[in-house]
Amino acid sequence: MIKEVITVILLVVGCFFFLAGTLGVLRFPDLFSRLHALTKADNLGLGFIAAGMALHIASPWAALKIFSIWLFTLLASSTSCYLIARFQREQEQSKNKKERG
Amino acid sequence: MDGFFIIVIVFLLLNIALGLFRVWRGPTVADRLLTTQLFGTTGMAILLVMAGYLKDLTLLNVAITFNVLAVLLVIGLVQVWKKKKGETP
Amino acid sequence: MSVLIDSILAILAVYLALQCLLAPRLTQTVFIFFAFGLALALAWVRLGAVDVAITEAAIASGFLGVLFLDALRDFSFTAPNKRENLEAVHDPLSRNDTKSLLLPRLALWLGLGLFLLIALEAVWKIPDGGGLTAAAEALLPESGVEHPVTAVLLNFRAYDTWLEIGVILLGLLAIFAVGGIKLYRKPGVAADDPLLRQVILFFTPVLFLFGAFLLYFGKTGPGGAFQAAVLWGAIGILLHLGGRPVFSVIPRWLGQLLLTVGLVFFLVLGFLLMAGGGALFEYPPAHAGVLILIVETLAAISIAAALTAIFANLNQMKKEEPNEIESTN
Repeated sequence: MIKEVITVILLVVGCFFFLAGTLGVLRFPDLFSRLHALTKADNLGLGFIAAGMALHIASPWAALKIFSIWLFTLLASSTSCYLIARFQREQEQSKNKKERG
Repeated sequence: MDGFFIIVIVFLLLNIALGLFRVWRGPTVADRLLTTQLFGTTGMAILLVMAGYLKDLTLLNVAITFNVLAVLLVIGLVQVWKKKKGETP
Repeated sequence: MSVLIDSILAILAVYLALQCLLAPRLTQTVFIFFAFGLALALAWVRLGAVDVAITEAAIASGFLGVLFLDALRDFSFTAPNKRENLEAVHDPLSRNDTKSLLLPRLALWLGLGLFLLIALEAVWKIPDGGGLTAAAEALLPESGVEHPVTAVLLNFRAYDTWLEIGVILLGLLAIFAVGGIKLYRKPGVAADDPLLRQVILFFTPVLFLFGAFLLYFGKTGPGGAFQAAVLWGAIGILLHLGGRPVFSVIPRWLGQLLLTVGLVFFLVLGFLLMAGGGALFEYPPAHAGVLILIVETLAAISIAAALTAIFANLNQMKKEEPNEIESTN
């Protein structure tokens, strides 16, 4: 019983962060702030949902897999945040150079 | 409990549908690429919840597949489009 | 209650498919296609076909995404001052000659309607007993594996799988025929970013391990050669993008061997089995498990090599003659 309540709470919190991430992607004014919203909030949301489901499924192997999913997502997401931001900055710089020259 | 899982899945699906708006709008290609990250993360969350809802642990493998390939698209964009800059006259 | 999920997935899939076709810009199309792949993967999961879901996830989100990005870059690269061309690419019917297109349009609509009717009829007539499921399940002990899908793919209908490997190789040959063999050339740009190099170095063994896991897991559950092959092919693509192209590092004969080993081994095995008195691909039940595992591994290596080669060749091919293409426009 108490396990189910904790699962529900974790999933609801996860959903909240997903909604926050999506709203950030939709509403923020430029790419860099959108990146910030997406790569932080969504990962946290995934973390909460992963924790909730690991608790619900309650099998050690599945928990290990779910945990590794979250870990890889953190790694991939933060790296891609950096890569996209750098890509965008380079694009903007070369565009500015072209406009000036 | 199952009803609750269904609500969560539907909520996350609607999240993806909302994110489509940015694919449509996004002024630069990087904006659009960003949404693929959103879809990937949300899709993984849906698959995790579905694994509990359908009681099928092999769905975790689908989630891991999405997971390990998510970074490929970003590296693809960064490396493939970077070459363009050096070559344009 | 779960019909809610199904209906949303169905609406999403159809809507995304339409958007893919109708979106006014190519960049929109490419990224909507990614979302379409995700929706399809979720739909396959709901239909209980986890094998297909893994393949869809791997191909749509990984391989096709990178290929499309590569193609997209060439579009914006070959016509930098004709950007309006790129925007107009999806609006093929210009307004002045709609009349001459009336007949083809009518034919297209009629054909589509007919196709839909046939599809509806096929759905209507799905047999109650689940088709050949019972037959496949009954023969499962003889097949050497425990998962019916793998048994069908690599034992009962191994002929099909063998030809599919051939089809992928044929696709590579077609690309060679169109653009020339650019496979063994080194790409100009190496990954100069330390973080990029590190993430490639981290994900290479992860991709390899998970691919090997899927390959072996195919014996008992959803997984198998094609899924593993896409993951292993992703290794080749990552290394290519990181400036370490596999095919220009290893000797040429080794590359050719990797590309063909799956097809050739399959063929030799089939003929040996025929020489032993059986039919083509009729494995002896005692050794079927081991044989299937060997065949799957070699097939996965071949398909992975072919996918890597397709991407590497396409990536090398188009950045060659930008001025020529531009002048012909």
